[in-house]
Amino acid sequence: MTDRITASMISSTTLHSIESSLAQLDHSSEELSSGKSILAPSDNPYGAGRAINLQSSLDGLSSYASNVQEAISWENTASGALSSIGSVVERVREVALQGQSGVDNEGDLQMLASQVEELAESVKQSANIQFGGSYIFSGSLTETAPYETGAEDAYHGNEGTIARAIAPGSTITISMSASTLLGEGGEDGKLLGVMREIASDLREATPASIAALSGAVEGLDTNKEALVSMQAHVGVVINQLQTAEGRIEELSTTTSAMLANTDGTNYAKVAIEYSSQQAGYEAALRAGGSIVQMSLLEFLR
Amino acid sequence: MGIPTLQGLQTALSGLMANQDSLDVTGQNIANAQTPGYSRQTAVLETREPLRISALSPTTGQGAQLGTGVGVETIVRIRDTYLDSEYRTDNSAMGSASTLAETLEQVQSALEEPSSSGLSSQLSSFWSSWNDLADSPTSAAAKEAVVSAGGEVATTVKQLSAQITAAETEVTERYEALMGGSGEVRSDAEQIAQLNGQIKSSEQAGQPPNELLDRRDELIDQLSKLAQVSVSEGEYGVDTISFGGSAEPLIEGSTVNWPPTLSASSGGELGALLNLAGPEGKLAELQEKLNVVAEALTSSVNALQPSVFFSFAAGEAAASLEVSASAEQLRAGSEGEPGANNFALKLAGLRGGEAEQLYTAFVTGIGSDVQTAQASEGNAEAMLSAIAAQRQSVSGVSLDEEMTNLMTFQRGYEASARVLTAMDSLLETLIEHTGTVGL
Repeated sequence: MTDRITASMISSTTLHSIESSLAQLDHSSEELSSGKSILAPSDNPYGAGRAINLQSSLDGLSSYASNVQEAISWENTASGALSSIGSVVERVREVALQGQSGVDNEGDLQMLASQVEELAESVKQSANIQFGGSYIFSGSLTETAPYETGAEDAYHGNEGTIARAIAPGSTITISMSASTLLGEGGEDGKLLGVMREIASDLREATPASIAALSGAVEGLDTNKEALVSMQAHVGVVINQLQTAEGRIEELSTTTSAMLANTDGTNYAKVAIEYSSQQAGYEAALRAGGSIVQMSLLEFLR
Repeated sequence: MGIPTLQGLQTALSGLMANQDSLDVTGQNIANAQTPGYSRQTAVLETREPLRISALSPTTGQGAQLGTGVGVETIVRIRDTYLDSEYRTDNSAMGSASTLAETLEQVQSALEEPSSSGLSSQLSSFWSSWNDLADSPTSAAAKEAVVSAGGEVATTVKQLSAQITAAETEVTERYEALMGGSGEVRSDAEQIAQLNGQIKSSEQAGQPPNELLDRRDELIDQLSKLAQVSVSEGEYGVDTISFGGSAEPLIEGSTVNWPPTLSASSGGELGALLNLAGPEGKLAELQEKLNVVAEALTSSVNALQPSVFFSFAAGEAAASLEVSASAEQLRAGSEGEPGANNFALKLAGLRGGEAEQLYTAFVTGIGSDVQTAQASEGNAEAMLSAIAAQRQSVSGVSLDEEMTNLMTFQRGYEASARVLTAMDSLLETLIEHTGTVGL
């Protein structure tokens, strides 16, 4: 193609090859130091879009992970409160049976009655448990205690629900209403009602009232079952949350790996490229240095 | 008719002069070896009119012609006009591609994607802040965090929009600077017109104006970077030059038709600038895409919770996006239920939604545009340097060649001088020693 080679051709070709070697070297060194293979969207437009989406998914997963952690703690708190209510129920049952059989001293019965009253208050206290400043048994009225201790047994919460997001488009309800178990005061056959009934039977201390205790103890057993099923529900929710936690962790791992594949630097590959580019750059410099000096002038006398 | 006695001296003298002229041309080439736009020159030698010698042969009675030496016919520059027009076509493509790539790269770098400071990561933080609010629906700190994350999103969108506007202004200003009354196009055109006049008078006087032609070609090369040019040569080397596809030629002889009508398809830097600027331009298109992102973000966020969270001025959504809700106005869930978080949950669920997808498409789009522009810049550069090398191969000065010429002409001069010496000694014999027999 070219038969005459002139001085300015050599200098411009030399300059061009030195410049392009240096540009390649620069890109590789930036890749190595940043750890990213996509330094600008134009390096790989599709990959850049994908990296943005993956990064957002990863951020979302870390949100879900913290939601799940928090929900598990919330449910553990609820579970603890429910088991302390459970032991109170056992205690009430013992007291009622004690009153039913063997104790005929009225003073003792009055004492047993007060004991049941106190236990009822402790059940309310258990239900008033808070997690992170929120009452967990008040439905969605998290700023209101479900029961007022030392007062009427009315339920102050609602039946509203609170959910936590655990995956894209998937939520889990963590709120609970204590009224289904403890009742709203009065003779509704729920736990507080039954306990109040036992207390008043003991306090009345007539043979008829003592006889009525056995019916109340049956009511207690029914509520015990309700309590157990509520505990079971909490257990199921914790289980679901733990499953979700495992899945989120797995997804985070695969998503991070995908992200690294998309925009991460392949160090081994880039390092090898870098050293061969360096060699190329040095060769271009050396060749340029010697060829530009040379001309027929050197050899003429 | 015999041979004039002193003819040999004249012939030797013509050799001396022709070799000296050739040496001068070589000197000129060496001096201009690195001058931009210089085409190597060569002295065209020709034999001089011969002498007729009549009836020299006693047998045939035929005459002969005796050469009378050498003369320099003219000094020409070595130039290939086909390569010139190829070079200019590629130079226009190069001007256009590099301008396009440069401006789009500027917009791309304003995006700062993919990184932890770009809009994508701020949108991500914004969705995360709603998620945190869903976990603590009554927390004033969580509400403040949502408002501040929203504020950062709005600020970044506004900055991006401002950067695109700045690029647009810059492009317009550059176009006006080039095309203005004292801009490069006008001054180059005026100089070419003037050179056309000078070239014409030189050519009419029969002297090839090599230096003027080189300067004119250099100026046309410069113009070709700005927009496509086409050159047609007329009588006495006068060029008519069309510029940027304008119907009326920019330069006709020594007149300049100002201003040329340019369009986005004019090619070169100016064509690319027109392509980028204006209401139909590439930059306006990007601005519009960013507006769509801002609008989608605003409508989705405002629809899923009761406050007017984002607001903007109609028609310039991206440039005027701002957070109009205060932390006190934010509600995580339904009224009267402090623990309710239904709104915040829906907002956190917008992650990966329409606004984000539109933005990702925006980034991918700019990335592809820049990639295409860079690829065509690379192609144009390769073509241009190939054709420039070819042109250099034809017109450039090779010092090795000039050195060889230098030796050749020097030897030629010496040889002619030797002929002169020989002639001189012949004449000496004739003048000094003839007719002195017996003296």
